[in-house]
Amino acid sequence: MSASAPPRVDVRAYACPMTYVKARIALERLAAGERLEIWLAAGEPVENLPRSAAEDGHRVVAVEPLAGAPGAFRVILEKGAGAAPEWP
Amino acid sequence: MSLSGKTALVIGAGGLGGPALLTLAAAGVGSLVLVEDDAVETSNLNRQPLFKEGDIGQRKAPAAAARLRALFPSVAVDARDLRFDVGNALALVEAADVVVDGSDNFATKFLANDAALRARKPLVHGGILRTTAQLLTVSPAGIGGCLRCLFEAPPPAGSVPSCAEAGVLGATAGFAGALMGAEALRLLAGERGAYEGRLYTYEARSARGRLVLVRKRAGCAACAGTQPLEATAPPACAAPTRDEGAA
Amino acid sequence: MNDERLERYARQLLVPGFGEAAQERLGRARVRVVGADAVASAGLVYLVQAGVGRLWIEDPEDVSPGDVTGWLFAPSAVGTPRVEAARAVLAPLSRFVSIEPYPTGGVPSATLVFASSAPQALASAEAARRAGIPHVVVEPDAEGGALVVVPPGAPCYACARSTTGVGRPAQPGIAALSALAAEELVLMISNPGSIPGRRIDLVRGVATARPTSRLAGCACGGAPAASAS
Repeated sequence: MSASAPPRVDVRAYACPMTYVKARIALERLAAGERLEIWLAAGEPVENLPRSAAEDGHRVVAVEPLAGAPGAFRVILEKGAGAAPEWP
Repeated sequence: MSLSGKTALVIGAGGLGGPALLTLAAAGVGSLVLVEDDAVETSNLNRQPLFKEGDIGQRKAPAAAARLRALFPSVAVDARDLRFDVGNALALVEAADVVVDGSDNFATKFLANDAALRARKPLVHGGILRTTAQLLTVSPAGIGGCLRCLFEAPPPAGSVPSCAEAGVLGATAGFAGALMGAEALRLLAGERGAYEGRLYTYEARSARGRLVLVRKRAGCAACAGTQPLEATAPPACAAPTRDEGAA
Repeated sequence: MNDERLERYARQLLVPGFGEAAQERLGRARVRVVGADAVASAGLVYLVQAGVGRLWIEDPEDVSPGDVTGWLFAPSAVGTPRVEAARAVLAPLSRFVSIEPYPTGGVPSATLVFASSAPQALASAEAARRAGIPHVVVEPDAEGGALVVVPPGAPCYACARSTTGVGRPAQPGIAALSALAAEELVLMISNPGSIPGRRIDLVRGVATARPTSRLAGCACGGAPAASAS
C-alpha cells in the first residue's frame, strides 16, 4: 500500500450499475493491497457497491458520510489478492 | 394436439425470457403470453436479443411483442406490461400449458414455482449469474423436487448482490434462455424434461456442466400445492444469489 | 472507454475477469462469420450484442423458407440475399459494431463457422488455423450438435470434428448451440489463452466438454509454415 492518498473516483452523478463499473475499472489498474476511494450518492449506490465489491473479493475498509457533501458517501476499498484483473 | 394449439407463459422478456420466447416462436408454439414490467435500458442491450437501440426507453412488453410478431406472424403474442405478482400469478399460470420463468429476482422465481405447482402446470426455471447458467424443471406430476425443495425460501432482502450489479455475459444468458425454450418444447410435446428433478448448471469458462438430483423434500408445501402465494413487489433491484437471478 | 460504451457493456464489464481491456479487445476484433442461415442467427445476434468491432458475414445464398425458423429473417425476407437481410436486422442492435459482407482479402482476427457442407467447414477452419486466429466450428444436429473450439495452436478442427457424417436438420433449440458458439469465440477474443482447445457436445439440453487432442500426423502439429522454405 502506498503512503500517498489513494486514487479516487467520484461517481456521485451515476446510478447502478455504472457506479460499480467505474469503480471496477479503477480497481483493475491497482495492485492487490492498494486502496481506492469512491465517492457515491446515498441510496442504492452506497447500499450496493460495498456488497458487490466484497463479493468480488475486495476488502471494504470504510463506508462513511463524505465530509462537506450532505447525502454523499465515501467508500474505501482495498483490492483483494484473488481479484485478478484478467483470467489466466 | 400440435404445438400450434399450445400456450406458453414466459415471465420476463430479457436475457433469459427473450431467447426462450424466440425459441418457442420459432418452433411454432401457437400462443405466447409474456409478462414483463420493465422498460428497455442501455445496459440491457449486451444480452437481450429482442431489443434494439431504437427501443431504449420503451416498454419492454410491447417492444418484445413487435419484434416477435415481425419475425413470426403466425404466432399469437399476448404481451402484458405488468409485474407477475400474487394478484395475477394463478390466473396467468392456469391459462398456460407450460410456464417459463426468465425473471430476474428471487421473489418472482419463488412465486412462479408456487403458483405453477398449485395450478399443476410444468415450470421451467432458469437463472444466470456471471458465467454460470442454471436450469430446473418442476413438474407437478413428477418425482423431482421444486425450487423450495432446494432452497426452502428466498434469501432475506439485502443479503445478496443487487441484480443491476451482477455481471453476466450475453451469450451465456442466450444459451440458458434457448435451453429453457427447448425444454418447454419437450414438455409441450409430452416428453420428459431434461431437467426434471435435475438441477443443471453450466459454467462457461470451464465449460463444466453438472446435473444434480433434486428430490422432493418431505413436507414441501409448494409441491403439495398449498404454499401461500407471496407478493413479489421487490425493490427495483432484488436478490440474485447462489447462481441465481440476474437475467 | 467512454461512458456510452461503459453503460452499454456494463453488465459484462462486471463479470469477474472481464474488464475494460477485455472489452477493448472485443472492440478491435474483426470477426468472419461463415454462413448466415437459421442456425447462425442467434450467434450473430450475440456477437453484435457483445460488441465485436467488425462483423464480416460470408454467405452467397438467399434467405430460404427454412431460414425463417431463426432469429433474423421474417417471411418477407425470403428470396433476398442472406447477408443483406441479416445486416438489416443486426445493424439496429448496435452502432458500435460495423456489419459488412466479408470483404475479399479481408484479414479477420477470429472466425465462426456455420458451414453448409463439410468441405466448406474444413476449408474455413483451415484458413483460420493457418492465420493463427481463434475459431469455432459449429456442427448442428437436430436441437443440439457439437462445437469444435480452436484457440491458436490447439488441435485443429479436422482433429476433433464429427466423423459420423452430416447431422439431422436443425430444430429451434439449436439457438442454444449457436449462442454457445458465440460465447466461446467471445471468451477467446476477450481473454486470449483463457480457454483450451475443446469440443463441446450438446445433447438433449446438456453440454459436455472434453479437451481436443491432435490426430497423429495431422498438419496442425507440424513445423510452422515459416520453416517450409
